[in-house]
Amino acid sequence: MKKKILIVEDDVALRQTLAEFLEADSFSVLTAADGEEGVQAAKSGTPDLILLDIVLPKKNGFEAIKEIKKDKKTKDIPIILLTNLGSLSDIEKALSLGATTYLVKGDYQLREIVEKIKDILTLSQK
Amino acid sequence: MNRIKNDLNIKRQAKELGVSVWQAPSFLFLMLGAIIIIIMTAVFFFARNETSADYLIVIESFVAVIILSVGNVIITNMEKLAQVNKMKSEFVSIVSHQLKTPLTGIGWDIELIISNYKDGLSEKQIEILKKIEHSNAVMTRMVNDLLDVARIEQGDLSLRKDKINFKEIVQRVIEKNRELSGHSGIEIVVSNFRSDLEVSGDEKKMEVVLDNLISNAIKYNKEGGKVFITVKEKNGKVIFCVKDEGIGISDEERNGLFEKFFRGDSASKKSVGGTGLGLYIAKNIVEQGGGKIWYKTVEGKGSEFCFSVPVV
Repeated sequence: MKKKILIVEDDVALRQTLAEFLEADSFSVLTAADGEEGVQAAKSGTPDLILLDIVLPKKNGFEAIKEIKKDKKTKDIPIILLTNLGSLSDIEKALSLGATTYLVKGDYQLREIVEKIKDILTLSQK
Repeated sequence: MNRIKNDLNIKRQAKELGVSVWQAPSFLFLMLGAIIIIIMTAVFFFARNETSADYLIVIESFVAVIILSVGNVIITNMEKLAQVNKMKSEFVSIVSHQLKTPLTGIGWDIELIISNYKDGLSEKQIEILKKIEHSNAVMTRMVNDLLDVARIEQGDLSLRKDKINFKEIVQRVIEKNRELSGHSGIEIVVSNFRSDLEVSGDEKKMEVVLDNLISNAIKYNKEGGKVFITVKEKNGKVIFCVKDEGIGISDEERNGLFEKFFRGDSASKKSVGGTGLGLYIAKNIVEQGGGKIWYKTVEGKGSEFCFSVPVV
């Protein structure tokens, strides 16, 4: 059974590249282009893990985390923040809302992101 | 009413302007008020026996108006200066963020082609892609450096405190520098160190520090020289040192070594590339992470740079 990853990212180019890389690796992928779509997809698609941008149209990453964590069905899905913001206060805020970890986009290669996803999925299965 | 409430929140005002509390305009105005009261009281005590009450009022008013206007001009100018500084930092930070998204896109796409579409590519094409990847990495690094400088100035380097395997990172950075050292015929000698050394820090930032120090040791080495890397554990800290056999650092160069945009004489003589931000950023990363950075140097023989980092 392939693990399902939801990517919530408003930049088309980044979203497509990340999706293709994850699919070619071993995952099935859902995508959303804004926060509202992201929350919807989390509820209807039941992904195993969510990659979430912070700066998003319609609903930002913080609001999205709040809603995902409020719903019984989605509250246990691990969330990795994938952001270019990287300011400490933003990150602390996101972690306090329940995100599992965060990665600063430009600092990580695709294969490093895949490794982190796999680490977190194995941890959450235990 | 709200305006007054806002102005009285000195801590917040200082934070908004990116200055320390005692430099916040509201705080300075309060101080100014205190100074006026003190001076007016002093004038009152000294002059009350000498002059009539009417004359005293005139002197007191005059003194108050002078101090208030001079103080007002000084404080307003300080506030403007702080605002300009803040705008400068914000500008750098916004531009860097905007640049990072397309740079990330380029990097990821090249990685995608090389890892998933390699079969359809000729060796030449792969070679060219690797060159693009390298240029992109250099550009990303520069943007990151600028962003780090802006963050250091805003007092928010956003360091993670993760448990990280020190040896793995050191080895990764040495690998990254193999090409650079290969070009200049420089050998990197690593003394054995324990593979289980776990330190507390920010993996990516630690890479930046190590990369700065190791690439400097290569760039400023003599031709065919060696770079010696050692890692020790002492008093709950891991100490990393990298030594080169270059020309060393002259007395004049020592002062500004860890300053922003510092470029040594030897950098221009050897036409070594760089922005002059490396050691400034490294020092700030190390110190904010709870460590220290230092160096020894003998002119004509070489330099050794070391830093410490807390063990988990």
